[in-house]
Amino acid sequence: MTHRWGMAADLDKCTGCGACVTACHAENNIPIAGPVEAERGRAMHWMRIERYWEGEFPEVKLTFRPVLCQQCDDAPCEPVCPTYASHHTDEGLNAQVYNRCFGTRYCANACFYNVRFFNWFNPVWDKPLNLQLNPDVSVREAGVMEKCTFCVQKIKAAEIEENAGKPIRDGDIKPACVQTCTANALVFGDLNDPESAVSILSESPRGTKLLEDMGARPKITYLLRETWNESNRKG
Amino acid sequence: MKKDQIGNRSLRWTIVFGAIIALAGAAWGIFGQATPATPPAVGTSGIFTPGHASLSDAARHFFDIRSVPVQPIAYTHKVHVIDNKIECSFCHVGADKGPVAGIPGVKKCMECHEFVAVEKPEIQKVADYSKKGLDIPWQRVYGWPEESHVRFNHAPHIRQKVDCATCHGDVPNMTVATRVMNHTMGFCVACHEQRKVSNDCMTCHY
Repeated sequence: MTHRWGMAADLDKCTGCGACVTACHAENNIPIAGPVEAERGRAMHWMRIERYWEGEFPEVKLTFRPVLCQQCDDAPCEPVCPTYASHHTDEGLNAQVYNRCFGTRYCANACFYNVRFFNWFNPVWDKPLNLQLNPDVSVREAGVMEKCTFCVQKIKAAEIEENAGKPIRDGDIKPACVQTCTANALVFGDLNDPESAVSILSESPRGTKLLEDMGARPKITYLLRETWNESNRKG
Repeated sequence: MKKDQIGNRSLRWTIVFGAIIALAGAAWGIFGQATPATPPAVGTSGIFTPGHASLSDAARHFFDIRSVPVQPIAYTHKVHVIDNKIECSFCHVGADKGPVAGIPGVKKCMECHEFVAVEKPEIQKVADYSKKGLDIPWQRVYGWPEESHVRFNHAPHIRQKVDCATCHGDVPNMTVATRVMNHTMGFCVACHEQRKVSNDCMTCHY
């Protein structure tokens, strides 16, 4: 059975701590753009925490939403790529092949989630920080696009073990953000397995997709916040 | 007669254009590299160029010119593998376990060479490294440049009974390992097609 990787994010649990963002940077060798380049819109974060303020002070409520590549089934970034660098794998991953990419940036324009990033510079890590680079992930050079891969290096490692006879159980593969999430708000797994935690959460009545009416069929399900007050408390 | 003149003229233009391109290339090579914005790290530099850190790097890659690794010790695979029947995996322990086959540390050498052939000068060099607590600075023979974005894993290949010689040549009969195979993408893809395994980009490039 082929896999179909997906994720669910429980907005009720997310505390907005940002550990997932940091973990993603560390796992995937994402360069830090710095304040000057960030001001020019060149900051690179495969994952970000969006903040929302609701209400007026002092009755203000701060809520968060982790946003990463939604790995759309009908991804707008794929048909616009002239080199097929952005393409769909059999497992439904929205893959970015750095070798093919020559930086037209059409995909970043087509993506309405703003989760694709262009390498404006060759990344530089001051010594000894270059020693912390993850050897399982390539360092992208100037001129290519990059984006969340669902930590494909971890998926591939697990699938190699699966081919050697060790089946992948639900929860075996944890992308860096899921692994680090202190509140267990993020759940990753196989959508083709009806008993996996992510399949069950994806069918939850609280589940929504981000910008669903755009029709890209994203694979990340956001579980809506419940409002807790005396009137809807049960029992 | 007329034909000859046209021939002459086009030849001249070819020379002029050739000279301009050569000059531009040389100028870029000299001035482009002379002013790096930031100190180079992780095999890259501040120069704004996709793929290669410098023009000469790109040229070397294009013509497949590589420096020949010089090993610190005149190791012979032949004596170990052919004469003494040691398996490849005895020293390259990672081959069936993970991405990297691995080069044995000096401790692995000393397991045997504390007692075997201790009087030979090359073995004494190994013993010296061991005494100093240093590892032997072996030089890499195979591998891809960072720009290739190749993430190769030995384990699935060894588990599928791909012979070491398929990719590394007749190492057992070599002294120090030399690069005899050219690991191009065509080389990998041809074998993957033959064995009916995935040829998706994401199999190797991520």
